[in-house]
Amino acid sequence: MSEGVIPFSLAENVLKRIDVGIFVLNKNFEVQLWNNFMVHHSGHQAKDMLGKNLFDAFPDLPKPWFTKKVNTVIMLNNFAFISWENRPFLFRFAHNRPITGGADHMYQNCMLMPVSNDSSKPESVCVVIFDVTDTAIATTMLKDAMERIADISNRDGLTGIYNRRYLETRLESEFDRTRRYGGTFSMILFDLDFFKKVNDTYGHLAGDKVLVEVARRMSDQLRTTDVVGRYGGEEFALILPETPIEGARVFGDRLREMIELEPVIYDNTTIPVTVSMGATEYSADLASYDKLILQSDVALYASKAGGRNCLTCYSPELETIAASGAKH
Amino acid sequence: MTLAALTNDQRDALQELTNIAMGQAGSSLATLLDAFVDLSVPRIRVVEVVELPATLSDLVGKNNLVSAVRQSFQGYLRGEAIIIFGEPGTHALADLMGYEGELAESGQAELLLDVANVLSGACLGGMMEQIRNFTETHGPAELSFSMPSIMVRDVPAAQIIDPQKVQWTHSLLLEVNFTIKDRNFVAHLTMLMPEDGIEKIRGIVDEFIAAF
Repeated sequence: MSEGVIPFSLAENVLKRIDVGIFVLNKNFEVQLWNNFMVHHSGHQAKDMLGKNLFDAFPDLPKPWFTKKVNTVIMLNNFAFISWENRPFLFRFAHNRPITGGADHMYQNCMLMPVSNDSSKPESVCVVIFDVTDTAIATTMLKDAMERIADISNRDGLTGIYNRRYLETRLESEFDRTRRYGGTFSMILFDLDFFKKVNDTYGHLAGDKVLVEVARRMSDQLRTTDVVGRYGGEEFALILPETPIEGARVFGDRLREMIELEPVIYDNTTIPVTVSMGATEYSADLASYDKLILQSDVALYASKAGGRNCLTCYSPELETIAASGAKH
Repeated sequence: MTLAALTNDQRDALQELTNIAMGQAGSSLATLLDAFVDLSVPRIRVVEVVELPATLSDLVGKNNLVSAVRQSFQGYLRGEAIIIFGEPGTHALADLMGYEGELAESGQAELLLDVANVLSGACLGGMMEQIRNFTETHGPAELSFSMPSIMVRDVPAAQIIDPQKVQWTHSLLLEVNFTIKDRNFVAHLTMLMPEDGIEKIRGIVDEFIAAF
């Protein structure tokens, strides 16, 4: 290829008509070049812009930040970039898909290049603006879809509360967080009493209705940081961050009473429901989070053995009851 | 792999080349961050991409979480630069920018991108400048950079790169120690490129050795 020089008029035409925004600023932020893309989207004619201070023409620009960005490009003689993911736009332009868009402005990626008339030290900065609205919308939709999928995969299909997989993940992260930063948390494992009898007496649809209703009532009572999930068939679990065991007992008992006091109505039939609960609190000497599950299971077993419809807090002595029970 | 490791002489020369290039990076960063920045002499080596996860994991520490920024470059050399920051680095930078406690998510991302962009620009741009100074054999030594983007946030170092998914076979791995306002942290700059890129660098290095 010959080292041919591109005719000036050709280069100028290309620059003018290309479908990306191009403008040049000198060190005083006076505009030295303003192409058609900029004209059409900003409504400012090139003849009005040339020689004019950019911030005077666009008072809404984030001045300190953009000044620093431009100055750095000149000082370091290095490219700089601005991504729509950090700042949706430099100029608030309308975008060209008002019907299919769902965005109220053009998303922009910007590239800043040091330039000069000859090849000596840069004295100006060329800013290139790309319309990335399509990409931004697609990315945002994809992100939303991924979040929805993640949420669906974390939830129990019947009750809509979290599933076991998610519960364990949360339990593990709560355990690690507490271990790292201190504090405490509790968990409660609980089980519907004689649930098999509900299914046998009233049918599985009634059983399902009971599960859904219990899940709904609990969800209504939770603080925003609490997590409730269906651990297994008729077994549920609660994770209560920043809650010592006394608090867990009070909270758990309230839930238990609430469930007991209001029977579930299914198909004009009143189904009495009670739950047994086992609670335990984080302790620094536990090797891993699953020890908490074992402990609350032991406490839950004690509640069952103690006549059901009650809450037991874990203590090491309970282990012997559980062990003797397991033999039978 | 057909590519033999660099000889000792070649490695020394490459080290020298990057030293000069990175000499400016310290002052560039100081300008960007508006604070005194001390940059150690970088350590450089050629690493095969398959070995990269293990190498990075060793360098950063198996249990430490890192964030990484990627940026592609083309022209005289082509490839992808990946800049890796440990957790302390992210926090040191955040402090520096005057954010008390929590740095807004997008502000932190922008900061990582800016610093990464300056590092790769200074390193690769500086290398091009050195190359222009002593050779024209391989064509005009100029590069252009594409927009950097965040690859990962807070993951173990071994998970940054999945060699199975990487087209490049080799990488130049550069380890840079920073000190900013009495806080030390390390950033790792790795430049992944195809095998012919490494061969090109080998050629340049040989010329560099011959020239001095």
